[in-house]
Amino acid sequence: MWRDSVLVAGKDLRIELRSRVVLNQVAPFSLVVLVLFAFTLGPSRAPMAKAAPGLFWVTVLFAAVLAVQRSVSLESSEARDGLRLSGLDPAGVFLGKAMALMAELVVLEVLLGAGVVLFYGVHVRSALDLVAACVAGTVGLAAAGTLYGALAGGLRVRETLLPFLLLPVAAPVLLAGTRAWQAALGTAAGGAGDPWLRLLCVFAAVYVALGVVIFGPILEAS
Amino acid sequence: MSTPVAAWSRRRAWTVRAVGIAALVSLAATVWLGIWVTPPDQVQHDLVRLVYIHPPIAWVALYLAFGIGALGSVLWLWRRTRSPFWDRLASASIEVGTVFTALTLVTGSIWGRPTWGVWWAWDARLTSTALLLVMELGYLALRRVPGDPEARARRCAVAAIIAAVDVPIVHFSVVWWRTLHQGATVLNANLSPTIHGSMAWTLLLGFVAVTLVFVWMLLVRLRIETLEQALEGAELDEALQERWAEGDTEAALASPAGVGEP
Amino acid sequence: MSYIAAGYAAALVTMGLYAGLLLRRRRRLEALAERTGGDAP
Repeated sequence: MWRDSVLVAGKDLRIELRSRVVLNQVAPFSLVVLVLFAFTLGPSRAPMAKAAPGLFWVTVLFAAVLAVQRSVSLESSEARDGLRLSGLDPAGVFLGKAMALMAELVVLEVLLGAGVVLFYGVHVRSALDLVAACVAGTVGLAAAGTLYGALAGGLRVRETLLPFLLLPVAAPVLLAGTRAWQAALGTAAGGAGDPWLRLLCVFAAVYVALGVVIFGPILEAS
Repeated sequence: MSTPVAAWSRRRAWTVRAVGIAALVSLAATVWLGIWVTPPDQVQHDLVRLVYIHPPIAWVALYLAFGIGALGSVLWLWRRTRSPFWDRLASASIEVGTVFTALTLVTGSIWGRPTWGVWWAWDARLTSTALLLVMELGYLALRRVPGDPEARARRCAVAAIIAAVDVPIVHFSVVWWRTLHQGATVLNANLSPTIHGSMAWTLLLGFVAVTLVFVWMLLVRLRIETLEQALEGAELDEALQERWAEGDTEAALASPAGVGEP
Repeated sequence: MSYIAAGYAAALVTMGLYAGLLLRRRRRLEALAERTGGDAP
C-alpha cells in the first residue's frame, strides 16, 4: 500500500512540478482573495488583524477546492479506468493523491501565512501552534478533498458539485483552525487552542482512516 | 428484478394506509393537546407549546432519517448484505429527512424569535442542523446525476457515509463554539424531570405522531423509488411520445393542409 | 401566541404539502405501471 501511494504521489507531484498549475494559478488566486478581504475590512489594521485567522482558513478552504479539482482533472476518464485496472491498491491510490494534495496545500499555506502576517499586521505569539494547526487541518482537508474529488470525479457537473459537497463537511476544519490560530496569535477571546488542535487531529485521523477503507468502492463507481 | 412492479401486495398497501391514518390521528391529537389542553409553562408561558412539535421533528430529521440513510448506505456497500433495497431505503430516508431537517430549522427559528429575540442565532444545534441540511442537499444533488443505477447507488452510499462520519465531529465542534440552546432537556432519553404531567404525555405523543408521519412518508417514498427505477425506460418513452404528439398538433395548427407535416 | 400558530402551521402545512406531492407522484407512477404492464427489466 505505501509503495503504491508513493508511486501515485510522485506522479501527481511531478505533473504539478512540470505544469505548475497550483503554483501559477491557485496561489495567486488565494493571494487575490486575501487582498479582496483587505478591501472589505481595511484600511485600518485592527479589524483585519482580528479577522485574520478566519480569513486565512476560508481562503485555504477555497484554494483547497481548486486544488482538489485540479487533482481530479489530472486523470481523464480513460486514465481513471487505467488506475482501477492497474492493480494498484486503492488505499494506496487514496493516500498517494492525498499526500500530493497535502504537499501542494502546505506550500499554499506557507505563502498565505506569510501574506497574512505581512498584510494584516498580526503578531505571532506561538509559531509552533500555527504550524501544528495547519498541518493537522491540512491532512484532514486533503483526505476529505481526495475522497469527494474521486466521488464526483467522472461527473460532468463536477465543478459545481464538488464545492457543494466538500465545504460543509470541511466546516469543522474551518472552525477549529480559526480558533486554534486565534489562540496562537493571542487574539482568542478566551480558552486555549488545545481542544481545537485535538479536533483537527481527530478530523484528520477519521478521514484518512475512512479514505483508506472506502476508496476501493469509490474507484469502482467512477 | 424480473417480478412485475405492480405487484404491491394488498396487505402492504393496507399497512401503509393504516400507518398513514395512525399518523394523522396522533398528529391531530398532538395539535389539540398541545395548543388547547396542556397548561402554559412557568418560564416560557405559551411558547412552550412548540416543544410538542419542534423536538420531535428535530429528532426525526437528525437521528431517525439520517440514521436510516447512513445505515442503509453501509448495508448496501457491504457485500454480504448488498441489495438494491438498501439503496432505495437510504435515498428515500434522506430525501424525506431533508424536508424534516428544513422544517427543524424553520420551527426552531420560529421558536427562537420570541424566546431569544432573533430569527437566527448561531447556537450549536441550529448551526449543526443547518450544515446537515446542506450535506443532505448535496446528497440529493448527487442522486439526481443521471447514469448507471449501480454506480449512482455506490456514489450516494459513499457520500452518505462521508457525511455521517462528519456529523458527530460537526456536533462537537459547534457545541464547543457556543451554546444558547437549552441543554438537551427535551432530548433526554428518560423524559427529564423539567417537564411534568400532561405535558410529558403530550410530548411523548408528539414524538410518536411525527415518527409515524415520517414512517408513512418513508414507505410511500420507497414505493415511488421502486416504481421509478423499474419504469425508467417507460417514463422516457411516454414523455417522448407526448413531445411528438405536440409536434404533430403544432404542425397541424400551423399548416392548413395536412396533419403531421414536419 | 401568533408565534405558536406560525410554528404549528409551518409544520402542518409543510408535512401536508410534501405528503400531497408524494401521493400524486405515486399515483402517476402506479398509473404508468399499469399502462406499460409494469414489468421491471
